[in-house]
Amino acid sequence: MWQGILRYFQIEFTKMSNSLKIENLHASVEGTEILKGLSLEIPKGEVHAIMGPNGSGKSTLSKVIAGHEDYEVTEGTVHMDGEDLLALEIDERSRAGFFLAFQYPHEIPGVSNANFLRAALQARLPKGEEIDAVAFYKEMYAKMDELGMDRKFTGRSVNDGFSGGEKKRNEILQMMMLEPKYAILDETDSGLDIDALKIVAQGVNSMRSPERGFLVITHYQRLLDYIVPDVVHVMHDGKIVKTGGKDLALELEEKGYDWVTEELAVA
Amino acid sequence: MSLTLTPPDKMAEKQSTDQWFASAPLTDSGDALPEWYQQLQASSWKQFCENSGPTRLDQNWRFADLKKARLSGLVTAPVVDAESSINRALNNRPEAYAAHFVFVNNRLVHSESGSLPEGVICLPINEALVKHPDLVQSYFLKEEGCLGGSKFRQIHAAATLSGVFIHVPRGVVCEDPILVNHFVGGDGSTIFPHTLVVAEDNTSVSLMDTFQSIQENEGTFAIGNVDLYADNGAKIQYVAFQDSSDLGAKHVQMNSSKAGRDSAIKSAFVNLGAAWVRNESINHMSGTGADCQIYSANLASGIQEYDQRTLQVHEAQHTTSDLLFKNAIYDEARTIFSGLIQVLPGSHHTDSYQTCRNLLGSKTAEANAMPGLEIDADQVKCSHGSTSGQISDEEIFYLQARGITAEDARRIISLGFLNETVSRLDGDKLKEFLFSRIERKFASLA
Amino acid sequence: MADSATLEAVNIDQDEGDFSYPENYEHDAGIGLNEGTLDYISDIKKEADWIREFRKKALKVFNDKPMPTHWASKDLENIVFQNIRYYLSKGGAPTRSWDEVPDDVKETFERLGIPEKERKYLAGVEAQFDSEAAYSNVKEELSKEGVIFVNSTEGLREHPEIFRKWFGKVIPTGDNKFSALNSAVFSGGSFIYVPPGVKVKHPLQAYFRINAENFGQFERTLIIVDEGAEVTYMEGCTAPKFETATLHSAVVELVAMKDAKIQYITVQNWSNNVFNLVTKRGLAHENAEIRWIDCNIGSRLTMKYPGVIMKGRKARGEVISIALANDGQHQDTGAKMIHAADETTSNVVAKSISVGTGVSTYRGQVHIPKHLKGCKNNTECDALLINSTSKTDTYPAITVKGNEHSTQHEASVSQVSEDQIFYMKQRGLSEGEAMSLSVNGFVNDLVREFPMEYSVELKRLIDMEMEDSVG
Repeated sequence: MWQGILRYFQIEFTKMSNSLKIENLHASVEGTEILKGLSLEIPKGEVHAIMGPNGSGKSTLSKVIAGHEDYEVTEGTVHMDGEDLLALEIDERSRAGFFLAFQYPHEIPGVSNANFLRAALQARLPKGEEIDAVAFYKEMYAKMDELGMDRKFTGRSVNDGFSGGEKKRNEILQMMMLEPKYAILDETDSGLDIDALKIVAQGVNSMRSPERGFLVITHYQRLLDYIVPDVVHVMHDGKIVKTGGKDLALELEEKGYDWVTEELAVA
Repeated sequence: MSLTLTPPDKMAEKQSTDQWFASAPLTDSGDALPEWYQQLQASSWKQFCENSGPTRLDQNWRFADLKKARLSGLVTAPVVDAESSINRALNNRPEAYAAHFVFVNNRLVHSESGSLPEGVICLPINEALVKHPDLVQSYFLKEEGCLGGSKFRQIHAAATLSGVFIHVPRGVVCEDPILVNHFVGGDGSTIFPHTLVVAEDNTSVSLMDTFQSIQENEGTFAIGNVDLYADNGAKIQYVAFQDSSDLGAKHVQMNSSKAGRDSAIKSAFVNLGAAWVRNESINHMSGTGADCQIYSANLASGIQEYDQRTLQVHEAQHTTSDLLFKNAIYDEARTIFSGLIQVLPGSHHTDSYQTCRNLLGSKTAEANAMPGLEIDADQVKCSHGSTSGQISDEEIFYLQARGITAEDARRIISLGFLNETVSRLDGDKLKEFLFSRIERKFASLA
Repeated sequence: MADSATLEAVNIDQDEGDFSYPENYEHDAGIGLNEGTLDYISDIKKEADWIREFRKKALKVFNDKPMPTHWASKDLENIVFQNIRYYLSKGGAPTRSWDEVPDDVKETFERLGIPEKERKYLAGVEAQFDSEAAYSNVKEELSKEGVIFVNSTEGLREHPEIFRKWFGKVIPTGDNKFSALNSAVFSGGSFIYVPPGVKVKHPLQAYFRINAENFGQFERTLIIVDEGAEVTYMEGCTAPKFETATLHSAVVELVAMKDAKIQYITVQNWSNNVFNLVTKRGLAHENAEIRWIDCNIGSRLTMKYPGVIMKGRKARGEVISIALANDGQHQDTGAKMIHAADETTSNVVAKSISVGTGVSTYRGQVHIPKHLKGCKNNTECDALLINSTSKTDTYPAITVKGNEHSTQHEASVSQVSEDQIFYMKQRGLSEGEAMSLSVNGFVNDLVREFPMEYSVELKRLIDMEMEDSVG
């Protein structure tokens, strides 16, 4: 009976928690384990960064949290403000407030950006409620201006024929429109020149608020000059191996990833 | 609603009672031949006699000139003096070769061995039937065929054959091509070239058949069959180079390829000669990872008619195939290309391409194209394309601006157009040989 | 975009055509087909002798012709011609006012929204109920300009000087077995004449409705647009779901004189046990343009290859085709472009979607004979497969003679990729919504070719089919 009461409090406690909480996450693809017991908590209002060498499992983490069917979660939990994220479908996770800015945003031929965003917003409304088209366009245009995007962009097919920079800006626009509670930015800096990088970072920074948490996945430190993280994690071989302040990113940049792995070997 | 331009005839057209041959075209006593083969010959002869031949209603003969497909006046090829043919063959061959065979009127008249590796069986088909009856039997004429040429297949199976059997044992790589020449001469004279290649696991072999006439202006016939088998990881390249008399020769060739796991088969058809050509090419990608590439370069002029039908069947997952057929057509010549890609149920993750391009060089040249797809699987990438057109004035202008005459410019561009297919083959010497032959025919057109 | 509101709308729509009224017919030719059937039809229509003869000759041709199963679907063999009713009508000429239309017929068309559409954006409407038109009206100003918009019986009887010349000339009786059948038993359809220079701004609309079981509908349409004139014609079709298969076999002939333009739009949504075997062809004279915009969503088996014969210099032909084949359906569609004069151009864009066990087939023919110059054809056909059980076939045939033409044919088969769906789901769309959006994206550029009102309807029909498919 005590155990029951304990369990009850545990559940209640988890429900109260205001964070994206990943505990002991194991995931594999086609039988190969990629995530090997990863734990991480991003409280609302904070920006965390994950850095790590290629092949450390960074992108796998983002796809597992989003619910990609190629990845099998073999152990561990992911809770978003206490809600069991792994129990939800991909689209339910999105509607619950989780957003993934893709490293390689997919092209959707024939579907315009405006229609796509409208469909995504409409999916969040209760049955029978219609989106107010005028307000929608007004908001979208304002956010596009912020990101320096041309108005013609709304009529183009989603990511179809976009340059690398345009795709990434589009991801940020979608994030700004969908206003998630937690967002993972997966290598958002890849393929961006410095001007585009600044604009994208500005967009992200404008969304920083006590009501929102971010996880920035990146290979290089340069993005973190513009999106300054509260906490930096280093990922290696499917686990977080080191956690520190924003200076950790600079240290990593200077000494290289070998420094961390060597340190691990010594330890 | 009907799609055939020529309305279907009220009754299936009757094949003329002339059955091509009065009796099966056998030129040797055949006593030493294995019993299964003699039985096959006899039953094929029976099927041939009962087969009424192609009809207008058969979609495999759409756009075809059926009169040309109804052969008449055929005789078994007589013995003739072979010396000049042998000289022609020896003086016109790619520099490097593994072995060389010359057949004149369906009989072996010359053979020599070059760089043929040990362990490879490379024998005239009749000799192979006697020496390796069981080995040959397991691969011999297994393809059922479905592209309309059953009557040709049957007479081929009933006849005495020429051509070679090649068996490459596991792991052996044969660098240089095996060359086979077939000559035919005499009015009505008919040859039955047969090629059977069996490449065991992880082998590589290349072969070129060359078809020529002894003399111009003779109404001769070649009814050939080629079967290629590539086991796991094997690689086969087959080239049919056909340069027989464009005034009288009729050339029929049935091809089949069966590509096993991770194997690759390249086949190419270069047609410069013959009054009428019918190629049927069936390609099975039957093992995971199998790849077939099928190429054809055809230069048709005068009143030549080239009729080519192809099938790419994907029978396993992760298989690929690519087909590129190019026709340069002049004077009153006509070409027919009918291709079908079939992706069978379950053959997921297939990539398959099929392209036919026609370059029309005169007001009366004609190109027919029927590129088809039948897709019944998931995660498939398939496309086909067909274009017909002429050399654009801008292209000619560009070359002229570099000091080339308009006539030369036209030839250079056409040559480049056909050579794109040949250039995808392996073997520099072989390619050089084919380029030079195509160029020679272009020169004769001017 | 299938939000909840649309879904609700769609649920109503799904059953839109699936209702019928008890049968109550004045005239019934009975079951089966023989010369007597033809006489019965001719007697009711009080037809001229030449039409009677025309019908009887056609019946002979029909009986002599074999089924085209050597290239087409074997499913054709399941049509039992002797079990079909070839003529059913309530008697009386079509009225020009909805108030005079019999109640059950009127209710049928009201449920399908026809009178409302007429008020909103149509220049004329004809509504056919089984064998005959119940309602036929054209805006007064058009009648004043000399535009004729009547049914086939009236067209041949009242205006033979205009229609007889071209009747059965673009599509001869013996073109195929089903054109012969139609020529024998045709009834209803639209006969339209637009005088020189008259540009009809708003579309003329015909609506074809099958109400009775075992019934075959054989309307006959002939549209003649005189020099420099223009018209857009739209047709829609529905039928309730009966236990037994129903046959619809129309013949549509278009004649565009010099500089004329015809746009013919079809949205076919027969219930999925209708055999829809239709012959459609247009004849384009000098500098004329004929466009077929064809959308096939319903039926069990559709065989339809709209064609254009470009007979005059600089004539243009176009076929825009969308086909959606769902479980148990076979959409066998395509285009036929016959170039018969210099500098003629044709364009074919066909897109098909196969869902579940649906089969879509494209058959095309492009023919450029010799002694012509400057002809061009462009053909694109793309197929989208939704499930692993879906099937698509493509069988084009292109003949070009001579070196002064250019043709181009491209076809591709693709799938909605798993990664594309994942991306859309990550943005909060359900699988069905993501699928609908992708499929609409696939056909989007073609849907735009339809008039506004039709493209909205089309999008909704596609959403509905896709929502169903992913369950």
